[in-house]
Amino acid sequence: MTSETGATTPFLPAAKSRAGRLRAVAIVAIALALLLYGVPGLPTYYVRVIDMVLIYVLLGVGLNMVVGYAGLLDLGYVAFYAIGAYTYAILASGQFDIHLPFSLLLVVGGGLAGLAGVLLGIPVLRLRGDYLAIVTLGFGEIVRLFMNNLGWMTNGPQGISRIDEPHLFGMGLNSPRDFFFLLLPFVVAALTIAWRLECSILGLGWAAIREDQDAARGIGIDTTVAKLLAFGLSATFGGVAGVIFAALQRFVDPVSFSFWESLTIVLIIVIGGLGNLVGIVVGAAVLIVVPELLREYSEYRMLLYGCALVLIILLRPRGLIERRYNPAWLMRTLGWR
Amino acid sequence: MKRFLLMTTLAGVALAGAAPAFADMTIGTAGPLSNAEALFGNTWQNGMQLAIDEANAAGGVNGQKLVLVRQDDQGDPKQGTLLAQKFCDDDSIVAVVANFNSGVTIPSSDVYNRCGMPQVTNSSNPKVTAAGYQNLFRPIANDFMQGGAPADYALQTLGAKTAAIVHDKQAFGEGVATVFKETFEKGGGKVTSYSGVTATDVDFSAVITQLKTENPDVVYYGGTMPGVGLFLKQLRELGLKSTFFAADPAFLPDLITTAGTANAAGAVVSFQAPPYDANPKLKKFSEDYRKAFNEEPGPYSAYGYNEASVIIEAMKRAGADVTRESIVKELHNTKLDGLMGQVEFDDKGELKQPTLFLYKVEGDGFVLEWPKS
Amino acid sequence: MTGFLVQQLVNALTIGAIYALIALGYTMVYGVLRLINFAHSEMFMVGGHVAFFLLAATASLAGGALGVLVVFAIFVVTFIAVGLLGVGIEATAYRPLRRSSRLAPMLSALGVAIILQNVVMLFVSRRPLPFPAFVPAVSFDVFGAIVTLNQIFIVVFAVALMLGLAWFVNATTLGIRIRAVSENMQTARLLGINVNRPISLIFFIGPGLGAIAGILYSGYYGIVVFSMGFIVGLKAFIAAILGGIGSIPGAMLGGFALGLLETFGAGLLPKLTHGFIGSEYRDIFAFSVLVVVLIFRPAGFLGETVTEEGMVYKRDF
Repeated sequence: MTSETGATTPFLPAAKSRAGRLRAVAIVAIALALLLYGVPGLPTYYVRVIDMVLIYVLLGVGLNMVVGYAGLLDLGYVAFYAIGAYTYAILASGQFDIHLPFSLLLVVGGGLAGLAGVLLGIPVLRLRGDYLAIVTLGFGEIVRLFMNNLGWMTNGPQGISRIDEPHLFGMGLNSPRDFFFLLLPFVVAALTIAWRLECSILGLGWAAIREDQDAARGIGIDTTVAKLLAFGLSATFGGVAGVIFAALQRFVDPVSFSFWESLTIVLIIVIGGLGNLVGIVVGAAVLIVVPELLREYSEYRMLLYGCALVLIILLRPRGLIERRYNPAWLMRTLGWR
Repeated sequence: MKRFLLMTTLAGVALAGAAPAFADMTIGTAGPLSNAEALFGNTWQNGMQLAIDEANAAGGVNGQKLVLVRQDDQGDPKQGTLLAQKFCDDDSIVAVVANFNSGVTIPSSDVYNRCGMPQVTNSSNPKVTAAGYQNLFRPIANDFMQGGAPADYALQTLGAKTAAIVHDKQAFGEGVATVFKETFEKGGGKVTSYSGVTATDVDFSAVITQLKTENPDVVYYGGTMPGVGLFLKQLRELGLKSTFFAADPAFLPDLITTAGTANAAGAVVSFQAPPYDANPKLKKFSEDYRKAFNEEPGPYSAYGYNEASVIIEAMKRAGADVTRESIVKELHNTKLDGLMGQVEFDDKGELKQPTLFLYKVEGDGFVLEWPKS
Repeated sequence: MTGFLVQQLVNALTIGAIYALIALGYTMVYGVLRLINFAHSEMFMVGGHVAFFLLAATASLAGGALGVLVVFAIFVVTFIAVGLLGVGIEATAYRPLRRSSRLAPMLSALGVAIILQNVVMLFVSRRPLPFPAFVPAVSFDVFGAIVTLNQIFIVVFAVALMLGLAWFVNATTLGIRIRAVSENMQTARLLGINVNRPISLIFFIGPGLGAIAGILYSGYYGIVVFSMGFIVGLKAFIAAILGGIGSIPGAMLGGFALGLLETFGAGLLPKLTHGFIGSEYRDIFAFSVLVVVLIFRPAGFLGETVTEEGMVYKRDF
C-alpha cells in the first residue's frame, strides 16, 4: 500500500542535504531556546495559560490520532484524561496514604489509560460514524459518573485534594514555570511521535481506513489492529496529560471531566484543522487564549465566546490552518529537506 | 474578504482582551456567572458590590475609592486557578473574595497562598481550611453546622425517629447530607435511606416513589435550587407528608414559587442570617439591595456583603499601609459586628461562633423557627 | 408493590413522552443532513421561555372555554415562533457549511447553543421562572398510584403529535419530498426537488416540536430556566440513537425506552439490590444499556441496519 516510487508524496524524504538539516536544527534550537528563556520571564499568569495550552496540545494530538488520522469520531476522550488524572491523585496523595513517584505514575497513568482505550476499542470496532461517537460519549459519561459515585476510592464529588507535589530528578515541581519546563519536552515529543506515526505505514493504514474502510481491508490492511492501535495510543496521550494536569492542579474532582471537556478537545482539533499537527497547536492556543482574553467582559464572556466560535467555523470550516501548512511544509521551509 | 473577516474577528477578540487596567485599590472576586449556578454567583457578587458601593459613598478607605473586579470561574477548578494567578499577578488587587464552589476554592487557595493574597471564601466544605493557610478566611459556617443543626432540631424539637436523606452528588449537597446523616444517627435516629440523584435532574419521582414505601418522619435534601424546589413539589404531589428540610441555597422566594405555596408550607430551610426584619442592619441591607439591583436578594447576597465588609474593615484598620500582608494581618484581628452576627476568626481562619437559623415556610415567606428568641 | 410499579410506570411514560418529542427533532435533522444538532436542546429551552411570557401576557384570560382556546393558541404561536428561529439558524449557521466536513456544522451548532443559552441568561432571566400550570391540578388514583391530569395530557398530546408527524411524512407530498431528500440528497436533486425547501421545513417542524416539548416540560415541572436544555437535550439525543436515528417511530420508542430505563434505574435498582446499588447509578445504568444495545444492534431498535457494503457514505466526515 505504500508507494515506493513516491518521490512526489510528502511522506518520503527527497535528497537530504546536511547543511539544510543543520540549519533546520539550528533554527528549531534557537526557537526552543527563545521559548525556554522568554516564557519563564512572563508574568506567572501567562505561564499558567501557556501550561494549559500545552496540556490541551497533548490532548489534541492524542484525540487527533483517532479522529483526524483514523477518522473515528470519539466524543468521550475526556475519560482517558480522567483516568490519568485520577491515577496520579489516588496513588500520590493522602487518599490511601500511597505516595508513588511522579515519573512512575506518568507511565502507570498513561498505561492504564491506553489499556482502557484498547478495552473500549474492542467492542466498538463494528460501529461506524455517529453510533461510534455516541458509544464513546456514553463511555466518557460512565467513567465520570463512576468517579462521582465510587466515594471510597475517588472521594466522590468532594474530589481528592492535597495531592503530592511531583518530584522529577530530585527537583520539586511546584510553580507554573516548572511545569512549563516539564510540559514543553512532552509536547515536542508528542508532536514528533505523532508526525512519525502519520508518515509511517501505520499512519498510511489509518488514512486508508479513514477514506474507505472496505477498500482498506481489501488491500490487506488489518483494520482491527490498526483501529485498536489508534485507540490505545490516543488514550495513552490523554492519560499522560491527565497525570500532568492532576500534578499541576494538585486537586481533582469529577467536574473537571465533563462531556463539555470532550467537546472542547474536539473543537481544538477541528478549529485548528483536522489531522494537521500544526493546526492542533494553533487550535489549542486559540481555544484557551480567546476565553482568557474575554475575561474583562465578566458574565458576557461566554456569549462572546459562542459568537467567536460560530464565526471562526463559518469563515474557516476546514480549520484555521490549511492542510498544506502541515509539519512537512514546516520542515521544508526550515530547510530540513 | 473571508480572510479579512477572519482576521478582524481574531483581532477584535485580541483587542477586547487588552482592556482597561485596574484602579489602585481593587478587590477581586471569582464565582460562577455563566453556568447553571449563575443566579447564585451573580447575586453573591451583587452583595459584595453593595458593600463596596456603601464604603465608597462613605469616603472609601483612606480617601481612596475601592473597585470590585467580578470574574467568572464557571465553577471549574481549572479556571479558578487561572483566575487566581491573574489576580496574584495584578499588583493593584489587594484582596479577593473567592471562590463560590469548594471544588474551586481548594486548588485556587494553593495559588493565593503562594502570593500571600488575603482570601475570603464562601465555600463551606470542611476540607477548604484543611491546609491551614494563614491567608484564608471563612466568615460563614461550614457544613458541620449547616448539616448538624437541622438534625438536632429534627430529633429534639420534632421528636423525629426516622429520616430519609437525598443529595445531589455535588460537593456541597453531599457534604451537608453526610453531616446530617451522621448527626441524626448519633442522636439515636434511624436513617431509612441515603440516596444520590443527579444535580441537573428535574424528575425525582422515581426516588420519591421509593421514599414513599419507607414513610420517614423527615426528608432531608442536600442540594441547590432549582432541584430543591422541584423535589419538594414532587414529594407533595406524590403524597408524602414528611417534614422537609433543605440547606441555605433554598432560602429564596423561588423555593415557594417553584414548589407552589401549598406544597412548600411547613418546609424547614437553614440559613446563616437572622430574618431580614430582625435588626435594622439587615432590613437596610435588603432594602438597599432591592433598590440597587431591582430584585430580591439571592440566598448568598448577605454572605457576599458580609465577606466584602470583613475585607473593607481590615483595610481600614491597616491604616496608611494597605498591602496584602497588612490586610492578612488585620483579618486575623477581625472583630466585626457583621450583618449576620459577630465575626471573629480562629487560628485556622474559621468563624469562631458560627450561627445558624432555621426558617419555616408560611404562606409566601420564611418565618424564623429556631432558635426562638 | 403494585402501586409502586404502576407509579413508576406512569412517571416513566410522562418523561419518556417528552424525550420522544425532542428526539423527533434530532432524528429528522440527522436523517437528512447527518448532523448532530447540538442547538436543538436550546430550541426546547427557548420554547419554554416564549410560552412563559405568552402565558403571563394572557393570564387574565385563563380558565373556562376561552382559556383552553388561549392555551391552544399559545402552543401554535410558540411552535411557529421557535420553528422560524430554527429555520433562521439553519440558513445562517448550517447551510454555508453543508459542503464542508461533517464536524463543522456540528460544532457550529454547539456555538449556537452557547449563544442561545447565554442570551436567555443575560437578557431574559438567570432566575428560574415559575411556569403556571395550564392543566387543572386533578389527580386520579389508579391501582394505588397517583396519576395527574397533566401526566395524561402530556402523554396523549405527545403521542397525537407524533402520529400526526408520521402521517405527514408518509402520506403528503411534502412529506414524501422530505423522505426523498433524507434517502439521498443527490438523487432528490436530480429528480427536480429543490432540496433547500424540505430542509427548511425540517428545521421548522423539528424545533417547533422541541418547543412544544419545552412547554409540556415546563408546565409539568412548573419551572423554566435558561440552563434546562443541555441535559434534557443530551438525553433526548440518546433516545433518538437508541431508537435508531433517522427513524420517526424509532424516536418515539427510544424516548419511552429511555424514560423506563431511567425510572427503573433510579427506583427499582436500589430496591432489588437492597440499596447496594443506589439511585445515583441510574445514569450509569442508562448509558450502559445504550452501549450494549448499540454493540448488538449498531443501528438502534428501528434504524436501518447499516451493513459494511450498504454504506452510502464511505467516509464518515
